[in-house]
Amino acid sequence: MQEPVSGDTNMASPPLKTSVVNPAANPRRMRRIIAEDPEWSLAIVPHLSELCLQHIVSNFEKNPVVDRLLPEHQRKVLDRISTGLPLTVTANLISDEGYWKRCCTERWAVCDVSRYGGSWKRMFFERHLESILKYFIPNTTDPNQVLEVIPLCKEYVRKLEIDQFLPPVKLDQNKEEDDMSDSGSDVGVDEFCMHHYDLGVLTAALSHLEELHLTYGVKDCGMNFEWSLFDFTYQDCCSLANAFKKCHALKVFKLCRSKVDDEKTRVLIRNLLDHPCLVELDLSHNLIRDRGARAIGKLINRSKLEILNLCNNRIRAPGAQAIAHALGKNSTLTSLNLRINCIEDEGGQAIGHALLTNATLTSIHLGGNELSEPTATLFSQVLAQNTALTSINLACNHIGLDGGKQLLEGMSDNKTVTEFDLRLAEVGQESEYLINQALKANQEIARLKTLYQPNSLEEKSPDLD
Amino acid sequence: MSRAALGEAEPEGPRELRRPSLSSEEPEERIAARRLRIAARLEAKRREALGEDPDAKKAEAEELSRSHQQIEESRQRLAKLLNDGTQLVTNIQVAADARETQRRAEEDELKRQRLEKLENESKTNQDKFEEITSKWGSAKEKTIPQDLWDVLNLQQQQCALLIEEKNKLISELQQELKSKDDQYVKDLKKQSDDINLLVERMEEQIRNLMKTYRRELTQIEKAFELERRELLSSNKKKWEQAMQAHNAQELENLITRMQKVEEYEKQLNQLRVQDAEEYTTIKIQLENDVQILEQQLQQMKAIYQLNQEKLEYNFQVLKKRDEENTIIKSQQKRKLNRLHDVLNALRMKLAKQIKQFQEENQTLTADYKRIVEQYKDLQRTMRHFAVIDAQKFLELWLMNEEEAKGLVWKALEADRVIHTQQLGLPWVEPDSWFLDNVGPIVHRKAIRSASKLAQEVMALTESSQQEEEEEGVEGGRKEAAAEAGEEVKPPRHISVKSVKHILELLCDDSGFLIETKLLGLLQPLERHERSLMRLDAIFAALKIDNEDDVYTLVDFFLKFKAQQVVSSQSKEWAEEQGPEELAVDSADNDEGSAALKEEGTAHQSSATSPSSLLFHPDDILKALKAFVRDFQKPRDKRPQVKKVMEERDNSKDSEYWEALAYVIPEPKLKVWDALEVALEKYYSVLSQRAKLLTDLDGLQQQNTELHMLLHQYVTSKVTEELLIPPTHVIELTPP
Repeated sequence: MQEPVSGDTNMASPPLKTSVVNPAANPRRMRRIIAEDPEWSLAIVPHLSELCLQHIVSNFEKNPVVDRLLPEHQRKVLDRISTGLPLTVTANLISDEGYWKRCCTERWAVCDVSRYGGSWKRMFFERHLESILKYFIPNTTDPNQVLEVIPLCKEYVRKLEIDQFLPPVKLDQNKEEDDMSDSGSDVGVDEFCMHHYDLGVLTAALSHLEELHLTYGVKDCGMNFEWSLFDFTYQDCCSLANAFKKCHALKVFKLCRSKVDDEKTRVLIRNLLDHPCLVELDLSHNLIRDRGARAIGKLINRSKLEILNLCNNRIRAPGAQAIAHALGKNSTLTSLNLRINCIEDEGGQAIGHALLTNATLTSIHLGGNELSEPTATLFSQVLAQNTALTSINLACNHIGLDGGKQLLEGMSDNKTVTEFDLRLAEVGQESEYLINQALKANQEIARLKTLYQPNSLEEKSPDLD
Repeated sequence: MSRAALGEAEPEGPRELRRPSLSSEEPEERIAARRLRIAARLEAKRREALGEDPDAKKAEAEELSRSHQQIEESRQRLAKLLNDGTQLVTNIQVAADARETQRRAEEDELKRQRLEKLENESKTNQDKFEEITSKWGSAKEKTIPQDLWDVLNLQQQQCALLIEEKNKLISELQQELKSKDDQYVKDLKKQSDDINLLVERMEEQIRNLMKTYRRELTQIEKAFELERRELLSSNKKKWEQAMQAHNAQELENLITRMQKVEEYEKQLNQLRVQDAEEYTTIKIQLENDVQILEQQLQQMKAIYQLNQEKLEYNFQVLKKRDEENTIIKSQQKRKLNRLHDVLNALRMKLAKQIKQFQEENQTLTADYKRIVEQYKDLQRTMRHFAVIDAQKFLELWLMNEEEAKGLVWKALEADRVIHTQQLGLPWVEPDSWFLDNVGPIVHRKAIRSASKLAQEVMALTESSQQEEEEEGVEGGRKEAAAEAGEEVKPPRHISVKSVKHILELLCDDSGFLIETKLLGLLQPLERHERSLMRLDAIFAALKIDNEDDVYTLVDFFLKFKAQQVVSSQSKEWAEEQGPEELAVDSADNDEGSAALKEEGTAHQSSATSPSSLLFHPDDILKALKAFVRDFQKPRDKRPQVKKVMEERDNSKDSEYWEALAYVIPEPKLKVWDALEVALEKYYSVLSQRAKLLTDLDGLQQQNTELHMLLHQYVTSKVTEELLIPPTHVIELTPP
């Protein structure tokens, strides 16, 4: 009984027509009172206001009227208008979250609004722009497609997460060539140029852009794989670097899996020096070597960088030393990730020395770096002296039994470290177990410390109700 | 939690004792409930503060601890589970990392080996290639076709070998590549396996976590439920106990109340009886009072009537008076008007008078102006005449003087002649001042310049001091001092010393009046000179030009000091000081000239002045200030004419003329008289002698004439003819 009724009300138009057709046919018509429908009224003819709203909804595209309506009517209109309305009409007119929620859920299956600051509208526009950029093919797609969207979404876009950039299409000739010679990479093809979309115009227009996650590559290429699909060319790099200059609000920049080598790193870093608000930099899964690492070391002390992720690169001892040197003088960086590089003991010791003086870094990841006992001895000293560090990761190194004992010694003096990963580090079960015990004690201390203040607040809050 | 339990439990209790509940429908009740809760909490806090109820607290802590324990346990269990789970999940990543690092290390190693191998290969091949190329040369030398063919064959074989080797290497590398590809595929598979495992483990973890969380949640809930139930039952028990106690109390109260009611009733009755008695007695008393009061009322009424009559009479009298007053008032008004008229007339008169007097005043002032003008004219003419008179006087004087001088000189010349020629004495020219004088005698106290005076004063006192120090050593000095003293003639009451003292003080303390530049210039000079220069400068600053000003300055200073001293010191002190002062003054004056002495005696008594009361340097500034203030006024007003019109002192004139008259002294005149007598006598003798001489001359003439005659006779021819010439007869005696 209830289900058809609710369906009817959602349709929101029926009374006139149905009554004309056959009043008796609808069992609902036969009832004088319908308790379960809050909008039910005895009158057969709907209110004029209702009809007006109906008209507004049906002609919303030509004559969008929202602001001038009463709040309750606004509500009704926003609930009823179609999600397929052109963005040019709705983008700057409708700020109602409910409408944008409908838009989002209709368009995408998975919607996690918490990742977009709880704003459905932001989510809609960010993902809309992302999808346009993802399928943008230089030289074939009309650049106006992007330019048209910019004025609509520039107020709402805070974050851009683009995990694919399509290269220009080389049409069939290339494919044929590819079929013919798979291994021989033609110089001519490279010259034809695989430059991707230039973000300069976009970043200049998006004044609120705070996060930028980029991956120069193609997803789901399947059997059409070709190295050139994943080329992050020098010109791309230059245009990206120039794009930074125009977005001053940028806080987070991630460029992963894009074959960024030393030259490109240096170009990027040069344009990031003295950036007013950059806080997080992620260059993981690239090809950065020591020269790039040196440039990054320079950046650490010429910006407000707090989080630096360089995992899975090609940094060796000299690069690590450069970063360690910068770290020794730095007071902003809180997290450093050097997972799967090859800094070896020299670099590890340099970082250890830097940590003796640094008092801001809280988290460091040195997993998979061919470290061994000398680094461990230095880190035991760091554990004893440094009070800022809370998380250390030395997994997948060759620290050895003696190194483990030394680390255990350092750990016994420490009260702040709550995470210390030594898996596959050959430290021996006993010291690993004891270190874990110490960690648990430290975690307990940290937990109590964080509990104390909120607790005192909670005790007071019930009095207010 | 316990609060909620209470809130829920209460509605079940008896209706009439129901407390307001938080979950109630009525807002008032909710507010009341909150109020009650706050009150209870405050009470608890107070108790806690007083330490009254530690038991309750302990119990509470115990009760709380059970649920907390449960929560803590659950938390720990869950944390462990979470930790283990994440470790399990991340283990895969770590393992992958480890594999990756290992792979990389291996790759590096392999790469190194491969490179080495390639390098070796290329080196050996290069050698071989060089060998082949070197053989080409030898092959060229070959001329025999067979040999050439052999060599070429050999070369070909070697080349083939080389190529084969290269191909082998390539195939090896390709093999390696293929194996790598396989490896890659394997790795991919492995990775997908890993990912699958990861997903599986994550799901497992999530399931596990969910399950355990749910379990722990139910356990915690159970614990809370249990705790709540216990709390509920204990509270109910307490409640019932309290109710019973309350009921018993109530019953007791009822009984005691009834007893009290009875008691009060008895008391009431008693009180009523007492009150009735009291009432009657008071009533009687009050009636008596009423009677007395009525009597008094009657009396008062009589008095009132009397008073009324009196007042009526008074009223009549006052009315009469009032009438009289109105009459008087009108009279006064009329008088006032009249007086106003008079006043106005007088005012008019006054104005007229004023005007008249103003006119008169104007005419008078005009007259006065005219007269002043006339007076000025008169003065001018007088001045003119005075000048002319003076001129005339001077001329007359000069003329007379010339005449007199001529006479004097004549007399003197005569005297000289007399002395030298007649008396044969040496003549001494009388040396008199008046002889040198030309023009009228003027008492020129030549107005010396102030600086000169200062110089003199300083010099004098310095020399006098020196003199005092080395008394009698040099006689000549004394004379000089005397001369100096002659020049310095301070007015009566001011001693030279005090002048010097004050000048020195001035010199020392008024350095600020001197220009700094000058001070610098003065530095190299001698002390004495320096002080003089400074004084000069100070005088210039103070506009002190002449001697008189200096004396007025000194005088002022002394007076100033005297005022101060008099005000401060006692009279005795001044008297004691007096004689000493006198002595000092006289000593000073001894050094002065005779003239000074003449004048000095006259006012030595008045020189008890505080001249030598030492002037304190600190006062000098004050004094100087006062001086400048006072001195400036009179000097500006001082008329310039006065100097010209200075009265001539003619006291000395007669003396002068008399002296001229008596240029030849009395004894000389006597000598002259005696000389005259003698000369007269001499004259008479001489005149007698002259007469005799004339007689003699006559006689001599007669004689000569006779002689001549005789001679003539003798010598004449007649005689010659005579026989005896007379000549023979008369003896001729020549005279």
